[in-house]
Amino acid sequence: MGSRRYDSRTTIFSPEGRLYQVEYALESISHAGTAIGIMVEDGIVLAAERKVTSTLLEQDTSVEKLYKLSDKITVAVAGLTADAEILINSARVHAQEYLKSYNEEIPVEILVRRLSDIKQGYTQHGGLRPFGVSFIYAGYDDRYGFQLYTSNPSGNYTGWKAISVGANTSAAQTLLQMDYKDELTVDEAIELALKTLSKTTDNSSLTYDRLEFATIKKNKESGEIYQKIYKPKEIKELLVKTKIVKEDDDSKE
Amino acid sequence: MSGYDRALSIFSPDGHIFQVEYALEAVKRGTCAVGVKGTDCVVLGCERRSTLKLQDPRITPSKISKIDSHIVLSFSGLNADSRILIEKARIEAQSHRMTLEDPVTVEYLTRYIAGVQQKYTQSGGVRPFGISTLIAGFDPKDNTPRLYQTEPSGIYSSWTAQTIGRNSKTVREFLEKNYDTETPPESSEDCVKLTIRSLLEVVQTGAKNIEITIVKPNSEIITLDNDAIGKYVDDIEKEKQEQQEREKSKKKD
Amino acid sequence: MDIILGIRVQDCVILATSKAVTRGISVLKDSDDKTRSLSPHCLMGFTGEAGDTVNFSEYIQANVQLYTTREGVELSPQATASFVRQELAKSIRSRKPYQANVLIAGYDTSSNIPELYQIDYLGTKVALPYAAHGYAGFYTFSLLDRHYRPDMTKEEGLSLLQQCVNELQKRMPVDFKGVLVKVVSKDGISIVQE
Repeated sequence: MGSRRYDSRTTIFSPEGRLYQVEYALESISHAGTAIGIMVEDGIVLAAERKVTSTLLEQDTSVEKLYKLSDKITVAVAGLTADAEILINSARVHAQEYLKSYNEEIPVEILVRRLSDIKQGYTQHGGLRPFGVSFIYAGYDDRYGFQLYTSNPSGNYTGWKAISVGANTSAAQTLLQMDYKDELTVDEAIELALKTLSKTTDNSSLTYDRLEFATIKKNKESGEIYQKIYKPKEIKELLVKTKIVKEDDDSKE
Repeated sequence: MSGYDRALSIFSPDGHIFQVEYALEAVKRGTCAVGVKGTDCVVLGCERRSTLKLQDPRITPSKISKIDSHIVLSFSGLNADSRILIEKARIEAQSHRMTLEDPVTVEYLTRYIAGVQQKYTQSGGVRPFGISTLIAGFDPKDNTPRLYQTEPSGIYSSWTAQTIGRNSKTVREFLEKNYDTETPPESSEDCVKLTIRSLLEVVQTGAKNIEITIVKPNSEIITLDNDAIGKYVDDIEKEKQEQQEREKSKKKD
Repeated sequence: MDIILGIRVQDCVILATSKAVTRGISVLKDSDDKTRSLSPHCLMGFTGEAGDTVNFSEYIQANVQLYTTREGVELSPQATASFVRQELAKSIRSRKPYQANVLIAGYDTSSNIPELYQIDYLGTKVALPYAAHGYAGFYTFSLLDRHYRPDMTKEEGLSLLQQCVNELQKRMPVDFKGVLVKVVSKDGISIVQE
């Protein structure tokens, strides 16, 4: 009997009507590297803090926090990267399947809901643990324009103008609330994201190897949507440009 | 036998099915929903969980959902669970249309939803749905308003006015006092007003945290926007004040 | 020998389908409607094997309506046509394929453009200014080639359709009991009285 008693207990209600496994999963995410999303009129910025770094890590090929899901949707991850990859894989497949069926890009909310439904399934069917990941989705579609969503292990999702998930999220959210304005430009949003992240990081300074960064923008003339996940070198430049890191600081390292 | 094919909701020695009872606790933790029948309309209202400052109201999912062109549903409990149940209900509604060439009746749909909920209390490896629902609408080619409730156990019942979720006891007491089953609210305006008044018993923050949807015969479904709800709230506040003043002046006399 | 004919004009699409139901040499009905509305701005006309057509159309109708309730927004005509094409392409590769050919008349409410799609049971999809399946095309495409203009008004379109129907009535060896004409415009789907 022993362990068997427990593996079927993963998805049951506590006497207060709570799902402990889901709450524990949420708890685990509050230790993960912070991710921030900021949406403005003409674009969205995603920034995420990487926890594990080493000078020996291959910077160019080790992306673990930001993923493209489709031509117009990027996601930032907080939590267990291995769990995230499973969901990201099905998201990518689903996005392409939608494109194949309807010959149209998948609307952002449909993809968000799809992933959230998968997450929900793992909180209701026995023998499984919930997914230990929260996502920030940044995307664009013709119906609502730019959109920013989060989803968490319970399978709930919400739409935001600016949001953070992961460690120190309440501090980050307070900073965002203070400085967010509807009329920000993408460049100002980039600055706000980096500033917020550098203030809330547990480490003393935010360096390029701790950071992953992406933007989604719209070309004013052609209306095309551009997604960009920054390369380490570009992040380095960005940090200098926004004066988060002084140039000589960097050389000392 | 592996652990997870065993039923999670089993009788305890004293005859309780604890998982179902705990699921009801999850319902009580959910935001409040109210349904009120008028003579020729049904109104569903619910409390929107406190909208945080940077939340995007455009794309945050609503708590009142259309199941078919003539039926809407609201719920209390776990948001993610509701999506799954709503999806099943929508498919059943379309499938019924296709095979029977007739839209579902409200009672049929209620029975179906309750049936799904029941199944999740007696199948292997799943927990019950942590939601109660209020289902409102009109049968095809019929002018009788209908309002039903379902619970995690799979019980369903018909009501003239009902409320579920957090603080529902207070709201029910209010409705019992203010709803006369002999003379239900005649106009849809009166019906909306009674619904909002009952919600204001427990919703502190007023219009921006209330959602209202009105259903009328022939698939007429109207969702009120914040401004419209705001007007009702202002009217109600004014009436309350006037009444207080009247009482005061009476006391003086 | 069903007739199905669609003409896309400046601000609407006209869809005509024959009213006869025939079986062998008998006419069983003279008031048939060989169309199903998929959404408020999307109409599908069909011909082919008797049972297959209705069954397929109603299956599509249910799915498109499900999409509408789920998303709270209509599927665009382009997306609807792609979906129908995919279903027919799946079907042709199954054990028992649907024998159904369809025309989809839609009005895209976001770009304000009328659209007409022809899809056959093999899963071939084409967007066309005017389209038909089966015999209707043989007798009418010469007329349409000669007289069609993309900037025609609804009235001009209807009178061109009338010419086509006259030609069909003259040339077809059997009586198809006239046509039921529907128009899809920005105001939705409406029936044109004769």
